[in-house]
Amino acid sequence: MTRQPPVYINSAASIHPPLDGVGECLPGKCLTAVEPDYKRLIPDATLRRRMSRIVRMGVAAGQACLQDAAGVSPEAILTATGMGCLADTEKFMNSLLDGDEERLTPTAFIQSTFNTVGAQLALLNGNQSYNTTYVHRTFSFESALLDALLLIREREAVDVLAGAMDEQTPTLYTVLQRLGCWKRAMAGEGAAFFLLSGRRTDGTLAILQDVELFSGDYGEQAIRERMERFLLAHDAAGARTLYPADYKRFCGEYPTAASFALWYACRELREAEGKRPVLVYNAFLDAHSFILLKPV
Amino acid sequence: MEQLKQELKEALIEALNLEDITPDEIEDGAPLFGAQGLGLDSIDALEIILLLERRYGIRIENPSEGKAIFYSVDTLTAYIEANRKP
Repeated sequence: MTRQPPVYINSAASIHPPLDGVGECLPGKCLTAVEPDYKRLIPDATLRRRMSRIVRMGVAAGQACLQDAAGVSPEAILTATGMGCLADTEKFMNSLLDGDEERLTPTAFIQSTFNTVGAQLALLNGNQSYNTTYVHRTFSFESALLDALLLIREREAVDVLAGAMDEQTPTLYTVLQRLGCWKRAMAGEGAAFFLLSGRRTDGTLAILQDVELFSGDYGEQAIRERMERFLLAHDAAGARTLYPADYKRFCGEYPTAASFALWYACRELREAEGKRPVLVYNAFLDAHSFILLKPV
Repeated sequence: MEQLKQELKEALIEALNLEDITPDEIEDGAPLFGAQGLGLDSIDALEIILLLERRYGIRIENPSEGKAIFYSVDTLTAYIEANRKP
């Protein structure tokens, strides 16, 4: 088998609920992200004022990631979201109802499309490269990562910016609560971006070894067996596994929580001694994914 | 008239999401569009058109009048006063 070239994570940025677990927007119900001062990351006031919260979070995380890797212009921008720009979508849909399908405001519509963040990142950075948004519910972020891996391994791109964002709104919270989605973890939200590259730098955080997605009614034993096979196939049998409970207590539950988990794993890899590989296991309902990181 | 100006400024701030700007900072006679004023653009113009329709029942029939009507808070207020539906 031909050995695949490594894919490095050269920078990572995340906007997430506070790691001390006190960021609740609806007390006892939902973890809310701590937002940075956007003026530094999105200096254009006109652009900024039109962005909804999720767009600001996504664009700011992407910009922070690019700023950390100064001078890099990615050959692809890949964004992922499970629910898209939900607050603006709700605003637009409500104005559709209230105005009897007339007199619709343009801004909420323009900003409510799923690819808004990817487009804004491209515009802000004058980047005309491949730009795609993945909207595959719980698999959205992992799909973007797979695309990035393929682009870099097939030498279609050297540097790829990939990230994800999802926001929580009171309507979403209520609807998903009725469906029983908050039984295992509190509702959450966040945005995280990564600069993936075929080139190692002084700031490289980790190696992104592989991503695997699968769905179905898997029991604990079946998951464990699949995990062992995956780790053995990548010569990483001694990996530390980050289970959903390990990171969703910080970020909460949302479709692209795996992006926070990856950021968290990068942080662990950088700070931990011993440097074992880290496996991120994400699961929501019947969707499961593995993301394997190795130390540099 | 002064009350309408204040109300209009507050409505503009809300509709256009003018961060960090208070009604007092919007000068009555200053241009709303372009670099010398609030820096509004064509998307904002659409938002203002909808604001006038929804809030005051005013429909601008002749688009060529728009530039003069939307010049400043003073001109907008005068237009609303003259055309608002009771």
